[in-house]
Amino acid sequence: MVLIIQIKRLVADILSILRQFLWARFAKLGPPLLPSSEETSENSSSRRKMDEIQLPPFNRSGHAAHARRCMSALPRSQIELDASRLALAFYNLGILDLLGDLNDVTAPPQWQKDGWINWLWAQQTHGKYGSGFRPSPFMTLHPLESNLEYSDYDAPHLIMTYTALLALAILRDDFSKLDRSGLITFLRACQREDGSFMTTPKDGENDLRTLYCAFAISAMLDDWSGVDVERAKAFIASCRTYEGGYGQAPFCEAQGTRFQPKSEPFQCLRLITLSSAPRLLTGGTTYIAVASLYLAPSSTGSGPLTAIEKAQTVRWLVNNQTAVKDGEATLGGFAGRTGKPADSCYCFWCGAALKILKYDGLIETKPLALFLARCQFKFGGISKFEGEHPDPYHTYLSMAALSMYPPSPLLAEEKPESWKFPVLDPLLNARVETAEWAKKNISGKGQ
Amino acid sequence: MKSRADSEEDQTPALFSERPEWSDVVTVPQYETDTPIAPILYSPEYQDASDYFRAIVKSQEHSERVLDLTEHLIRLNPAHYTAWQYRYETLLALSSPFETELELMNELAVKYLKTYQVWHHRRLLITHLRTPQPELKFIERCLQVDSKNYHTWSYRQWLLSHFVDNEDLWRDELDFVENAIGDDVRNNSAWHHRHFVVFGCGVRPGDEDRARVARRELTFTKQTISLAPNNLSAWNYLRGVLDTMKLPYSLLTQFVKPYTVPLDPKRIDIVDLENPPPPPGAQLPCVHAIEMLADIHEQAGDKDNILQAVELWKSLANEHDTMRVKYWEHRIRDALNSR
Ligand SMILES: [Zn+2]
Repeated sequence: MVLIIQIKRLVADILSILRQFLWARFAKLGPPLLPSSEETSENSSSRRKMDEIQLPPFNRSGHAAHARRCMSALPRSQIELDASRLALAFYNLGILDLLGDLNDVTAPPQWQKDGWINWLWAQQTHGKYGSGFRPSPFMTLHPLESNLEYSDYDAPHLIMTYTALLALAILRDDFSKLDRSGLITFLRACQREDGSFMTTPKDGENDLRTLYCAFAISAMLDDWSGVDVERAKAFIASCRTYEGGYGQAPFCEAQGTRFQPKSEPFQCLRLITLSSAPRLLTGGTTYIAVASLYLAPSSTGSGPLTAIEKAQTVRWLVNNQTAVKDGEATLGGFAGRTGKPADSCYCFWCGAALKILKYDGLIETKPLALFLARCQFKFGGISKFEGEHPDPYHTYLSMAALSMYPPSPLLAEEKPESWKFPVLDPLLNARVETAEWAKKNISGKGQ
Repeated sequence: MKSRADSEEDQTPALFSERPEWSDVVTVPQYETDTPIAPILYSPEYQDASDYFRAIVKSQEHSERVLDLTEHLIRLNPAHYTAWQYRYETLLALSSPFETELELMNELAVKYLKTYQVWHHRRLLITHLRTPQPELKFIERCLQVDSKNYHTWSYRQWLLSHFVDNEDLWRDELDFVENAIGDDVRNNSAWHHRHFVVFGCGVRPGDEDRARVARRELTFTKQTISLAPNNLSAWNYLRGVLDTMKLPYSLLTQFVKPYTVPLDPKRIDIVDLENPPPPPGAQLPCVHAIEMLADIHEQAGDKDNILQAVELWKSLANEHDTMRVKYWEHRIRDALNSR
């Protein structure tokens, strides 16, 4: 018996040596179709030049100041955010979290954090469809402290509930106020016959984004009794496209994310500069689908995607990294759909999907950082591409992308350390410490 | 319903608090905590309309003037999903003609093309009215404003799948999408729509012969590639046709090869409709063609073919598609390891 195992090992070793030998041979061969050794060496020297390019500093203090300004007040040009303020709060807090600005000496005072926590909990509301969080008090018919049940027009919102839980985790709340069983009831009320989820129990958008939020909430609760996982998975499968990505709903084109409205002339409130009302949590649908599949408890032994499906999705994702020559440098941002220009938020959506699929090693990090460096707005904040106005959504997602894909080799004109970020949990979309805190305290099982 | 054009003539619309016909309403202010996050500094107009809207929702009034109020609010904030929801319920309660509402939506859809609610509302109206036919022209108008708008394309796909048995609605769809691709061969949304029309919604009458359909799609796509070879959308569609119909990639070998090498200026073209050649002046070799040829070799699976695939991937990694050098190296490793 022992002998057989040893022989098997020996054979395996020989095979692996052979494979390495073959691999080394192939690696040395010149391309047969275009035998151009000159071009190849030219290419490797251009790669070397690319490595030598220095990054400008990452404007950490500017981006932190932008986030804090957005937390304190928004100009009237942002009225369209009235029905998604909580998501905006999440992105701003996420920025401060990734910058490490909530716990160091420059951190906001505790009374301010308590004030934010207080506002977030004031959005938790209960009623006939269970409990969850509303986007803001924009449709509240009674004083917030009255604790009356919500009406059909002020019901909780699934996307806002997901962002509220993460925002509270960023602020290290203990979640003693969380109505867990009400939350399960709410998730049930949002799921439809076809497995998808609505943003609000009575009516509302239903696409893959809401499904992801329901899954992320269930994962944080460590309780999946609020969702019919198999039906939801069937809905995800129906959104898959021939390109290997996912659309928002069955039949829809694969995309990184839903589009942001075009920037319009904006009114400036002192130093607040925002792109015109960005759609918050637009959620790159391919990321959303992949993250949901990997968050879900698996019913079978096999992975959530077949090898062929995975290969096709990886191909689609890496094809979204664009290459724009700029002198010696190549800017390598990600596009959200085939044939579209790069946009900073897709660096997260596509990058995170690849990370979840464990293909993060395929991304060129230096061109990615060079692209994001260009998206920095001079007074703080990051925009979707160079020359646009910044917003917290693109600022947060750009940093989240950098925390998964730190530029390498890291050469910067000054402050190379400004490009360093804490590690991110790609499934929940928060830094690892925050995601761990969320899972421990929202489930209530880790205390 | 008063149209916007009328009210715009008297400059800024009066605040609801200044309108005598609203004097009976007790407004509901927005409640806030002492320490709000990201409070919006509302315009007086929006604040006023919101105060009245909350009051109306509280009293559950469904009347003509609610239509005025919600239209006003929606114009100030088209993402106000509650205003849309309440407006729809009011239309139902009043048995208000949906045709009139649809006319208003024709204006608002183009104005707020990127707002989900505009399209959602339209779906509700059309589901009720069951008049899909004129929608096709309307969608074309929207696509003229923004030919890649995700909502607009999704709406067209919803319409066609919702009225899937309506032959009149479907009759010219293939021509429509052919034109859309003709207008811009790089419009991925149009390619995606083509896949939906041909494969995504069951078999249309006349398309029962699937082998013929596959041939038609391959020919169309190859012709389009021969006009503009470096177009990933078309190559992806080509793969999509083969994958959907479970056909081997090797069907494309003859077609693909001329696109994988530099253009030969002395080449003499033989007219071959099945294998249209690259156009004069094309930027060759084409990355997507090299990738396709490598996949053809990989699919064949024997040692010689794998070696040829490896050579092609190496040329992509080293020369033609250096942004994805790590991806091509991964493909090489993968192919060699799985042997
Ligand atoms: Zn974006």
